[in-house]
Amino acid sequence: MRYFLQRMLQFAIVFFLVTFGVMIFMRIGMNKPGDPARTMLGGFVTDQKAAAVNKQYHLNDNLFVQYFYWLAKMFRGDFGISVQQNITVANYMKGRVLVTFFLGFYSLLWALIIAVPVAVYQAYRRDSTFDRAGNLFSFLFVSLPALVLAPVIIQLFVIRWAWFPRISEKVMPWQDLGGHFKNFFLPVVVLTLPLAAIFARLLRADIVQTLQSDFITLASAKGVPPSRVLWTHALRNSLFSLLSSVGVQLGALVGGALVVEQYFSMKGMGALLLTSILSKDLFVVQSVTAIVVAVVSLANLLIDLTYAFIDPRIRHARALT
Amino acid sequence: MTTELASSTHGAAEVKPARKARHMGWMFGTAWLVVLSFCALFANQLPFIRTYDAKVKVAGQAKQYGFGPGWTAWLGTDNSSHDVFARSIYGARETLFIGIGATIIGLTVGGLLGVLGGYYRGWVDRAVSIIVDCLLAMPALLLALLLIQRTDQIKETITALGWLTRTEEITITLGILAIAPFARIVRAQTLGLRERDFVLAARSLGAKSRRVIWREIMPNLVPAMVTVAVTGLGILIAAEGTLAFLGLGVARPQTWGTMIDAARDDLSKAWWATIFPCLFLFLTVLSFNFIGDHLARKFDIREAAV
Repeated sequence: MRYFLQRMLQFAIVFFLVTFGVMIFMRIGMNKPGDPARTMLGGFVTDQKAAAVNKQYHLNDNLFVQYFYWLAKMFRGDFGISVQQNITVANYMKGRVLVTFFLGFYSLLWALIIAVPVAVYQAYRRDSTFDRAGNLFSFLFVSLPALVLAPVIIQLFVIRWAWFPRISEKVMPWQDLGGHFKNFFLPVVVLTLPLAAIFARLLRADIVQTLQSDFITLASAKGVPPSRVLWTHALRNSLFSLLSSVGVQLGALVGGALVVEQYFSMKGMGALLLTSILSKDLFVVQSVTAIVVAVVSLANLLIDLTYAFIDPRIRHARALT
Repeated sequence: MTTELASSTHGAAEVKPARKARHMGWMFGTAWLVVLSFCALFANQLPFIRTYDAKVKVAGQAKQYGFGPGWTAWLGTDNSSHDVFARSIYGARETLFIGIGATIIGLTVGGLLGVLGGYYRGWVDRAVSIIVDCLLAMPALLLALLLIQRTDQIKETITALGWLTRTEEITITLGILAIAPFARIVRAQTLGLRERDFVLAARSLGAKSRRVIWREIMPNLVPAMVTVAVTGLGILIAAEGTLAFLGLGVARPQTWGTMIDAARDDLSKAWWATIFPCLFLFLTVLSFNFIGDHLARKFDIREAAV
């Protein structure tokens, strides 16, 4: 429980510092108090319009006041407006969140589905041909960022062999299930391969180490069947790196999704972030980063708690310090 | 006795090919990097590399994607009929420069934070942890986009910063991104080192903290730092490519990311203009990964997730 509270406090501090930091950072370089509105609106704006926007969003107040107005609104679910697109940020994000969510969810899921059995078998048959091939492939795939893998895959599967259409329309599962999977297949492959490689490498190294411990020898000596030793005894005690890496990779996935969305012209959060950052759409940047940071950190928190639940040693070790 | 001997030789025979394969990996990596850096450094002197602006003309006329890969232009020409091979080499120069600069920034700042946090513990450690957590909470690419985009605008208002070129901006941004992972790894290593006997010995001889950090702990951190720096270089180069791809790259000389972005809409017309810069990026990142892994094995460093 104490561990939980500690982590919550840590989350709150980080969330505050990051969101406030982003806010200040977005304002640096603006001379006059009225500038935020002008920057957001872009181009030539009448003084009246700028003043109205400033007033509506308290942009003339000092930064702390502004921050808390903004934060209070965030909690009520009002993420502000995108002044340039002239719609609320919530509406702007509506369809897009799901696209990115599906991208991230499928890739993470598939990466784990592929990585865990491969890593377990690699560790079990260490230095076998399978192990070495696995190592080589994980090296190759780790070195293939979305930036590089996407054009190759598009060239082969979309242009050369035309197995898949070049994606332009977002298709949600409830609209057309087949189309949904068809649309998401290639982008997910692009994101999955490097991810699976990272996971497999970490997990393999951990299992190899765990397999050398005494309790594994004991279990085998007792006559526990090898598959059970591997899948329950060894795997359970080797999850730490894998789980914490899932947390780290979540953040990287946001970046990967951004690139993949560009290549496959999908309308997701990445494209939204890119446009809003490039066009200085203040509220969109602030709110979306806040949401991303919150999601990523909360997921990390959840992972740590899960691990503390799986492995009591962590819980106690951390609580003591 | 005989059975023991038999099993040990059997074991050696099993391990050997694996070790050989591993050697091939890092030897390949080193070779690639040496050749690439050599070409990049002496691009102006080497006869087989065209100059950055040279246009390869078809019957006296500059033509979009005039040549495919072949003898005239090894890797084809791009949409303004420049030699893809030459541009990739000039891109390598820029990219390697950015990557190495960013690594140095990350190592210096991150290493310092990590050592201080790990050595002094207490509130220093807490402050370091908070900084690292904040940097890690933001997805790296998002942070980089924000930093670069904003620096552009800040430069307009704060003229004192006007001397920053795009290359330096990107180097600094990537350096900031590298701080958190470096700090984390160095901190973890320092935590282990400070409990070791030689540190205790130095302290009981009356060495001040500063001396202990510089003379006792720092030298022992070098292997870990080098290993992480090499692996990190691969990641930073990929990150630079991604930023360039998103339109926040160096305009001149073009880097691989910019080339990929410029040609990717014409994949069906001229695959070479996209795929070859991709190949360069891939091979370079792969080389750094191979070498990093080799070093990690050699120095027995458990790779932390960078």
